[in-house]
Amino acid sequence: MSFKSLLRDTSWADRVLFSALVAVSVAGIFFIRDVMPQGQSITIEVDGKPAYILPLDEDRMLSVEGPVGLTTVEIKDRKVRVTDSPCRNKLCVKQGWVGSGSIICLPNRIVVIIGNKAKKKGPDAITG
Amino acid sequence: MNKEKTLLRVVSALSSVFCILIIVLSLSACSPQKDNIYQKSKVLMDTLVIITVASSSESGAEIATNAAFAEIERLEGLLDFYSPESQISLINRNAGVSGVQVSHDVIELIDKALYVSEKTDGAFDVTIGPLTSLYDFHKHVRPDDKTIRKNLALINYRDLLLDNAGYTVYLKRKGMLIDTGGIAKGYAADRAVETLKKQGIQAGIVAVAGDIRTFGLKPDGKPWKIGIRNPNATNDKDEIFATVQLTDMAISTSGDYERFFFANNKRIHHLLNPKTGYPSEACRSVSVIAKEGVFTDAFATGAFILGPVKGMKVLEGMGFGGIIMDNEGKTRLTPNMRGKVEFQVAPS
Repeated sequence: MSFKSLLRDTSWADRVLFSALVAVSVAGIFFIRDVMPQGQSITIEVDGKPAYILPLDEDRMLSVEGPVGLTTVEIKDRKVRVTDSPCRNKLCVKQGWVGSGSIICLPNRIVVIIGNKAKKKGPDAITG
Repeated sequence: MNKEKTLLRVVSALSSVFCILIIVLSLSACSPQKDNIYQKSKVLMDTLVIITVASSSESGAEIATNAAFAEIERLEGLLDFYSPESQISLINRNAGVSGVQVSHDVIELIDKALYVSEKTDGAFDVTIGPLTSLYDFHKHVRPDDKTIRKNLALINYRDLLLDNAGYTVYLKRKGMLIDTGGIAKGYAADRAVETLKKQGIQAGIVAVAGDIRTFGLKPDGKPWKIGIRNPNATNDKDEIFATVQLTDMAISTSGDYERFFFANNKRIHHLLNPKTGYPSEACRSVSVIAKEGVFTDAFATGAFILGPVKGMKVLEGMGFGGIIMDNEGKTRLTPNMRGKVEFQVAPS
């Protein structure tokens, strides 16, 4: 097949339609990427304000500064834990690895929230 | 030539199908009726407050949520037992001296607290401050028995005088202390929901720790699904032992696993019996469902202290929903909750 023969055997209406269809299809690739969920993330808030939004599927360790000092957060194998924090009772550290929900260090005003809006198979809220 | 035309037709057909798919997705994404769910959290009242709203715009959700957080922060300023500037602290400093004029919010809350104190025969007692101030769950401090006995004499909700007309509150004896810790979070959740509604939000959840108030339906038309924490949880997978579906209702849970430490192999938790001075041991978890968070919060505490049998009786008498797990792991439901609780862990 040659491009020239293709052009010869089609009408201008065919060519316009074909061009429009290809253009919309290509645009659709970007559209779908935006509306479909891309996986989970974690949000780290300090004093109620988001400080970090990180992908859950990239292992890393980071220190987050709160009013009392540095809280160290580790992400590994799609789970999160606090390895160190300047609070007295280290409840956030003792919580260990968490795959969903949140880890809170109240004295240092740090909240680590695991998951995003796209993941909603669990309850909408937890009491107790 | 025929092959070329066929190929052109096939490519056009595939592109058409793809385009139809794009158009359908576009229509659903741009639908004016579909709200999205937005969630934001903030540390207030010494705990995590999570506000979830359904809204057609992110900016609208943000404005409404921030207004609700501001309302909770305002109430915290009035009610904080540990803040010298709060109105509760002002009342406490003037115990045995004089009545104190307070705001409408404080009068309303104390009025409701007295109501619950009476209905639970003092199992919930808003004058429990002389006892709660002896324990420190951050520093793992528990008082000695002699100090407990001495301070128990200062606890009696009948010695708290309220003048609804003059907006004054008076504690009759020096040393008495009001502590609204067992009721304030539920009250704050109610007020936050009122704020969200005034901002035009028609559906959402305000969760002040485990004191939760729901309103409206989710964008998919379903009620909100609320999980009840499992007192016996060992990992993420059994974190929830039951769920309920709620709309325009509140739920609160009092549990012995929320704030505690171990001393001499005994669990010392924050749900203290105002009559004995020690943590109540008959229940592990009490969940109460009712219209208002102020009552679910306070009655959950009161029912926990009363124990599974008396507690259940009080909840039934109030027409509330109740889910009680006792210290042997046995779960009881009020009759109006039968068939409405989905258990993730089989109840015993």
